[in-house]
Amino acid sequence: MDPLLKLEGLSVHFSGLKALTNVSFDAYAGEVRAIIGPNGAGKTTLFNAISGYSQPTAGAIYFKGEAIHGLTPHDISIKGVRRTFQNGGLFPELTALENILAGLHTQIIGGFFGVILGSRAAREAEREGIARARSLLDLMDLEFLADQEVKDLSGGQQRMVEIVRTLATEPPLLLLDEPFVGLSPPMRTRMMEIIRKLAGEEGIGILLVEHAIDLVMSSSDVIVVLSSGEKIAEGKPEQVRENREVLEAYLGYA
Amino acid sequence: MNEQTSPNPPSNPKEVVASMTRMRRIFYVLPVIALAIPFVANEYLQFMANAILVYSLVTVGFNVVIGNLGQLAFANTAFFGLGAYTTAILMVYAGMPYMLAVVAAAVVGGLGGFLASVTALRGIRLYYLAIITLAFGELMRWTYLHADGITHGSDGLLMPQPSFFGIAMENETVKFYVFLLITVVLIKATSNLMRSRFGRAIVAIRDNEAATASLGIHTARYIILAFVWSGAVVGVAGAMFAALTERVFPESFSLTEVIVHFAMVLVGGTGSIIGSVLGAITLTALPEYFRQFPGMEELFFGIVIVCVLLFLPKGLVSLLRRVSPVFNERYYRD
Amino acid sequence: MLLQLIISGIAQGAIYALIALSLTVVYRATTIVNFGHGDFVMAGAFVVYVLVIMVGLPYVPAAFLAIIILFALGVAISRGFIDPIKAGPHIGFAMMSIAIGYVLRGGARTIWGREVLPMPQVFDIEPIFFGDVVFTGDALFICAIVAVLMVIFFLVFYRTTIGTVIQAVYQSERGATLIGINVRSFHEMMWGVGLGMGAMAGILIAPISLLHPDLGASFLIRGFAAMTLGGFGSLGGAVLGGLLLGVAEQVFGAYLNSALIDITAYLVIVAVLVIRPAGLFGRTIAVRM
Repeated sequence: MDPLLKLEGLSVHFSGLKALTNVSFDAYAGEVRAIIGPNGAGKTTLFNAISGYSQPTAGAIYFKGEAIHGLTPHDISIKGVRRTFQNGGLFPELTALENILAGLHTQIIGGFFGVILGSRAAREAEREGIARARSLLDLMDLEFLADQEVKDLSGGQQRMVEIVRTLATEPPLLLLDEPFVGLSPPMRTRMMEIIRKLAGEEGIGILLVEHAIDLVMSSSDVIVVLSSGEKIAEGKPEQVRENREVLEAYLGYA
Repeated sequence: MNEQTSPNPPSNPKEVVASMTRMRRIFYVLPVIALAIPFVANEYLQFMANAILVYSLVTVGFNVVIGNLGQLAFANTAFFGLGAYTTAILMVYAGMPYMLAVVAAAVVGGLGGFLASVTALRGIRLYYLAIITLAFGELMRWTYLHADGITHGSDGLLMPQPSFFGIAMENETVKFYVFLLITVVLIKATSNLMRSRFGRAIVAIRDNEAATASLGIHTARYIILAFVWSGAVVGVAGAMFAALTERVFPESFSLTEVIVHFAMVLVGGTGSIIGSVLGAITLTALPEYFRQFPGMEELFFGIVIVCVLLFLPKGLVSLLRRVSPVFNERYYRD
Repeated sequence: MLLQLIISGIAQGAIYALIALSLTVVYRATTIVNFGHGDFVMAGAFVVYVLVIMVGLPYVPAAFLAIIILFALGVAISRGFIDPIKAGPHIGFAMMSIAIGYVLRGGARTIWGREVLPMPQVFDIEPIFFGDVVFTGDALFICAIVAVLMVIFFLVFYRTTIGTVIQAVYQSERGATLIGINVRSFHEMMWGVGLGMGAMAGILIAPISLLHPDLGASFLIRGFAAMTLGGFGSLGGAVLGGLLLGVAEQVFGAYLNSALIDITAYLVIVAVLVIRPAGLFGRTIAVRM
């Protein structure tokens, strides 16, 4: 099977800081691949580089065979690479429903003049969008908070809404930036189930960045380990767990 | 933080939403009631009512950029002046009928909005945007003042009597009905715009620009849209202003005017159409009154803004919203 | 002729430089651009006027007193108006500063109305002649004072602990709090300093200019133009930008059209932000989406 995402020798250097050096790996549809590593390993930079928020200094990134390095975040997103954000990618003043609708933006057809004149077609398209958004929320048992502004939701609920929103965009490749942060244990389990389901049933390729190793071990198919910007290990969870270099990276220095 | 269920889960969300829709019909009743105003108001009050309509439109337009898009862009007086002068110039020199000149004012205002948006698109934000738009406004005012061959500079450009499809707008009452029609149509159009994917995109840019791009929303397009819409609406308000004051002066579009518009947005509520109208209603009478005493206008508006920022940052509309959720303005249409 | 214009331009530009520098100080220290700054400069000038004309103080003590008053005003504003809205959106600070400026301007206009007030000649320095070029007493005095202030300022900023503290707080407020810096007092102090420096500009302007309430607006826009030209946030850039702007105004005014003097600042702003938004020494400020 062809890789969905291909990284070749990716390096991102800021003046004085080598955030990523020569990182290469492939990611596939239907696979859950975790990126782990100690603080400062370059995990967030990796995500930023793939989604266009950081420019690679060297190397190449291919999505479905097409080069995406150097493109703007918007262009990369349109091609099918979607992401969540570590520090909240939601729109705080909008309700959960409106956030999901924003995710459905490209799918709601409504010409400008139709909208301002309040044409039937425009209103119909809007209604369809709303129905889809509510059913998406319903799938995650989140329908009850549809009309609350997301800034009033708990951290865990916000994360879930963000995932639903990203799902609404029907992404072939999904980058999840620390999806478990701030979630209570039962919610973490739920999140894990959702991630596995997205990969297994929907065939979405998932890359996730996470600090908590134990969660990652049980939910991923493949683990990539970064340390100081370099890839030091890649493989199945059992293999990585035994890897000496990995243990050193996490425990070896203060 | 533990997962919480919503404190008051609605019994049936669809029912609540449907009843809101029914209650919102109240807003359609208001313009109908307004039709009766000329029968109870004297000439002076009628003039005030007309001024309120003009400023409502100005504030609604301004709020789109300041409140919904969240950009501190002070080009409002530039759009206002462009609209007023376009109308006057076309009527004086090209004999254009008023309503056509109003359309032209919208186009020119929209173009002005486009120009203003260019800087926002190049990544200019916050203070830089504020400064360059202020500069733009002042440059326009300098132009009105110095292009006196056309604009008659500080003497002001006298408007020929406007007419509405043959009906002469010769007194405040006729003007009122024309202004009411224009205002209601444009406010409704703005409301439609906000309660659609366009409005959501605009507010999304305000709330989290990075995330907006990640959803495949072309941020540049919607920034331009917000500015152009704002420029067009305020341009039309300028056309109305020209008909209201009957003589267009450069001084009407100075930095003090910016403060007045700004205060109306803040007092009413940023990002809210209802708030914009409230702000205009509350504050319109005052510039007129204070203009007699030099300095009082600035002093007053400055104090108003300070007080609003300290004590009621979300504006008057936030008080209304505490009373009833019918005043909530969401960004979708049910 | 050109040389004379350049000299006059530098003298004028020295004032702009001081205003731009004081704006930059507040910006660097608090990340807030004080849109009311011009009106504080105007307030400084008016305070000196009141002290000299109505209270009868000699110029120098009046100047010092004005600086102290404005410093106190800066602290008060920070504490009373900026601090309480810290939790709100950043846009609120800009709004607040505009509003306070307007209160000052309106207040000045209410008290003095449409009068334009002259101050009596303070400087009795003989003009110096260099061939065809004249250095007026006022110009010399102002340039000298501004130069001294600049030197003192840069020494303090880059060589003393205070300066390091300023830079530390700017780079990380939380870090600064952790090492024991009281950020709130710091902000108040910096507003005081910024306003005090603005007052200095006003004090220098007072003797050579006619005072009126709109003085502030014209100086504010020049300050912004200088900051934009030099690069927002750059101290050296603010100074250079101010000087260049002063020269540009004189040159455009003489060679092109005297009406242009008023709008040179606006044209500079538009030109810089369109061609090279970072200005001469600024970091790139564009957001890339």
